[in-house]
Amino acid sequence: MAKKDKSRQKKFDTRIDFTPMVDMNMLLITFFMLCTTMLKSQTLNLILPTNKNEDKEQDIKIQQSNAISFILDGTVDKNGKAINSKIYYYAGDGTEEGAALTEINFGNGKDAVRGMLQDRNKALLKEVNELKEKWKKGEIADSTFNKKVKEAQKKQSEDLTAKRPIVMIKPTANACYADVVRLLDEMQINYVTSFMLQPLNKQDSTLYEQKLGHALGAK
Amino acid sequence: MGKVKIKKTSTIIDMTAMSDVTVLLLTFFMLTSTFLQKEPVQVITPPATSDAPVPDQKFVQVLVSPEGKVYLNLTGAKDSTLLSNEFFRTEVLKSAYDEYKKSHPSAPDLTVSQTKEFSKIGTFGVPMKDLTKWLDMRLDQRDEFLKEKGGIPIQMSVKDGARNEFQIWLNAIKTVLYNKDPELFSNLIGGDGIGIKAGQDSPFSLVDVVMDNMKTEEINNLVLMTSLKIEEEGK
Repeated sequence: MAKKDKSRQKKFDTRIDFTPMVDMNMLLITFFMLCTTMLKSQTLNLILPTNKNEDKEQDIKIQQSNAISFILDGTVDKNGKAINSKIYYYAGDGTEEGAALTEINFGNGKDAVRGMLQDRNKALLKEVNELKEKWKKGEIADSTFNKKVKEAQKKQSEDLTAKRPIVMIKPTANACYADVVRLLDEMQINYVTSFMLQPLNKQDSTLYEQKLGHALGAK
Repeated sequence: MGKVKIKKTSTIIDMTAMSDVTVLLLTFFMLTSTFLQKEPVQVITPPATSDAPVPDQKFVQVLVSPEGKVYLNLTGAKDSTLLSNEFFRTEVLKSAYDEYKKSHPSAPDLTVSQTKEFSKIGTFGVPMKDLTKWLDMRLDQRDEFLKEKGGIPIQMSVKDGARNEFQIWLNAIKTVLYNKDPELFSNLIGGDGIGIKAGQDSPFSLVDVVMDNMKTEEINNLVLMTSLKIEEEGK
């Protein structure tokens, strides 16, 4: 049967015009291009301190020599955008003689936020860097790297004599949100184990007034 | 004089190759695309080096607009029928509205169709007093309303113990998760279940008030939505 048919087969032109197909595809591509987000959002973990009073009293006494506070400030323009962002910091708890705010900015320099944090977190960073070298050479896997870093961080936070930064991030109401996130991000970059987001206390306000000559929130 | 001869060439171009390319591109876009969420405001999240992805299910997103308006977006579980989007939203709505009615007995009851409508909505955020009205609106009116008069009231109440509406919603979410899906509840408390999305130019006070509300509801563990920034140094 099949052979019979074959012998009688006429030769058709097998070419198909693809133009409508292309048209349709282009439309679909346009649709997908307009409807998609290539930029997927990422997340940054954050743990907030409790605002229940009974728990506040059990505040852990931190070593003042390791404490470092960042005060983020700025102004809000008439469109409701935070501009003129400024970062100040002081070491210790701010009660000792001569405590004052120093201005600092983001960047890679020695006296920028990162340089300072790295300087204060030398011991841990050295360990992390060694692990990083190993990871780069392919001696340890990704998961082992992360696990070892966590272990090192844990060890450091349990060692009460270790020199490590304990960072308090204190944004004022006018601080730029992006700066807060950036500072939180610096904590991750520099493997700072202990940091917290806090409101300004009385001491901070006093220092702020000393530095800027006007009270917090006043202009 | 001989006539100038115009050579007749075929104007038909072979589109097969073109078609191949477009199909490839189409496949690429279809596979990589995640659809834009319909949100009442578009915000640009601040850059950070953290590369943890946003969960695409079992997630509560708090959207803070540049004007300080707060919206919520509830996403249930994708795979199980235990806590689907619709079920999650319906339960949260019922729980929150019941709590609201305790302090406002004259508020109208929710109808079945309103509840059903609500379960289909991604991002919501209107004051409770407008909620039933809002759910009865047409789709385009609803979006308009969200933009113009939306935002969940979030001012911390001075009166001790009284919840503001945002806290009512948070509490409803917590209650529903606790009763229906303990695993998801621990997920929420553990910090993987709730995130704040705010614009990078926003003053911190807008985010601060959201955080204060969360702290009051004992949600101390959360994530901030960021967009990826590439660091020169690498890992």
